[in-house]
Amino acid sequence: MGFELRAHTADVAVFATGETLEDVFASLADGLAAASCDAFPAEGERFPLAVSAESREALLFDFLDELLFQRDVRLEFPIDVQVSITIPEGRGDGVDGSASEDGVDGGSSEDGVDGGSSEDGVDGGADEDAWTLEGSARGVPLDSVDAREVKAVTYSEMRLEERASGWEAYVVFDV
Amino acid sequence: MATFDADGLTLERIREFVWEIPRQGEMGVPARVLASEALLEQIAEDKTLEQLRNATQLPGITNYAVCMPDGHQGYGFPVGGVGAMDAEEGCLSPGAVGYDINCGVRMVTTNLTYADVRGREEELVDALFEAIPSGLGGGGVVETDVGTVEEILARGVDWALEHGYAVASDLRHCEDEGMRAGADPSMVTQRAKERGATQIGSLGSGNHFLEVQRVTDVFDETVGAAYGLSADQIVILIHTGSRGLGHQTCTDYLRKIEREHGSLLARLPDKELAAAPAGSRLADEYYGAMNAAINFAWVNRQLLTHRTREVFADVFGRSWETLEMDLLYDVAHNIAKRETHTVDGEQRDLYVHRKGATRAFPAGHPEVPRAYREVGQPVIIPGSMGAGSYVLCGGAASMDLTFGSTAHGAGRLMSRTQAKRDYWGEDVRDDLREGQAIYVKAQSGATVAEEAPGVYKDVDEVVRVSDALGIGHRVARTFPVCNIKG
Repeated sequence: MGFELRAHTADVAVFATGETLEDVFASLADGLAAASCDAFPAEGERFPLAVSAESREALLFDFLDELLFQRDVRLEFPIDVQVSITIPEGRGDGVDGSASEDGVDGGSSEDGVDGGSSEDGVDGGADEDAWTLEGSARGVPLDSVDAREVKAVTYSEMRLEERASGWEAYVVFDV
Repeated sequence: MATFDADGLTLERIREFVWEIPRQGEMGVPARVLASEALLEQIAEDKTLEQLRNATQLPGITNYAVCMPDGHQGYGFPVGGVGAMDAEEGCLSPGAVGYDINCGVRMVTTNLTYADVRGREEELVDALFEAIPSGLGGGGVVETDVGTVEEILARGVDWALEHGYAVASDLRHCEDEGMRAGADPSMVTQRAKERGATQIGSLGSGNHFLEVQRVTDVFDETVGAAYGLSADQIVILIHTGSRGLGHQTCTDYLRKIEREHGSLLARLPDKELAAAPAGSRLADEYYGAMNAAINFAWVNRQLLTHRTREVFADVFGRSWETLEMDLLYDVAHNIAKRETHTVDGEQRDLYVHRKGATRAFPAGHPEVPRAYREVGQPVIIPGSMGAGSYVLCGGAASMDLTFGSTAHGAGRLMSRTQAKRDYWGEDVRDDLREGQAIYVKAQSGATVAEEAPGVYKDVDEVVRVSDALGIGHRVARTFPVCNIKG
């Protein structure tokens, strides 16, 4: 259980595994740190993290985005990330990665191109931000590391799946 | 008809350097690759062609999705991709612009020659490295509050002019005079503004750099003179973008689109192609936010220009005006712009998306700044830190072949992970200094390894294709003298 940095022509990809959903989120955060810097000193205070989203994949995307946002505004690199995830009722047993469909398609309209339906194309309502994450990270001051800048998290080729052995995820970061 | 087979995909050779994947399956239009066979072989090695084919599924895409000669795999839309979507019935796609909105390059000329700099490279590279904020958390030339960020978002380089960081000629030598119409700061989120507030006038890291170069060749004396370029001259190239503000803006709109246009997104083969239907509220909001981020990037490069002028004045003991440090031009690599193009004899309003591609409007085009209208828009194509860069001028064929676009660089060939296995930053730096008299200074040795010259394609070949196709003509070639990066 952990992560590997995978080759990508221009950017950096992280493949991560974990026994639980929380573990795989934390492993991806470790991968993001490793893609940015080879070693971090043992300094820095912990700070809290809180994210909510409408689906499991969106929660992962927003969680990684939050780490980059906190990095830039706190001027600290978030490492040793710990998370606790609250799953909406009835969604905890998805073994098939079906979370990617949650909250994305209201199924109301096939013609999302006409602009008129834009307000209706979401199931919004009850499931909006139903997936929540709380946690914390240790913020290592940026001026004590020579870190490279990861610009953003991407949805490109993103995978977040439960397997017999636990959770697997693959995320491409823009560098 | 000659064909090229690439892992299950067959490209047909339309004519020299023009290859086409015919429309099939879910493709909305054909896909085209502009490349020599050598470049096409490299392009076919990663997922570039698959991503280009996916891009043809974006609503309202017109004629074809095009990959420039330096194209490579990105996320969603390939890097080096150009797609023109109908501005009434198509879409506007943050994914097809990319995270680093208006990442781009500018060139500043000087009246120094290589002889003036020879022997002083170390002093110059140290002074630039000291003065130019770079790397992660390196701050900015201006560190300010959200209120000032909003002014910059609205006014672009005009803000820099008012505050003494620019002169009037800088505006005349920038697309849209450094102020994009339709910029709407209120459409940029507070998160994005907060990320940007400490990064105004900063390089960042990755492939961004500031390079002092010498002009080695002027291929076209007439255009070269119009651009103020001559052999042996020292010029400065600055490559950076809209920093965290732009990255956050793209991120925020991808998520808004995911929430509001799920049914459109579900029909696209890659979630990162996220697009808002033309005419929708989100398309208008993203256009306002993107234009504001474009202004931010211009100011970012302008503040670095200002610092560079100060460093040169210090090192060479003359004012920067005396050193004639004029902005030649500033080009954007990652943007979408509403432009009018002729399609099948009709004038059409299109959102032209250029992701890792440079606008290359030819002589006479009304949107080329007056200073260059008779010769065509300058196009600046950086090579790696161990190879030449090029100045081109926009060519007439670009209007037919590429919606007025050409390449943006050498294009990556090798992954960053592989580069760090193959290269060691200190060795790369020493080899460049001893072998080619190029002085490199970086915050991180790993960045030097990741950006080693060997990870890039052959920029000479990229430019040869652009020149032969007539989309961007060779004007001059430059070679690195000093390079700083994050």
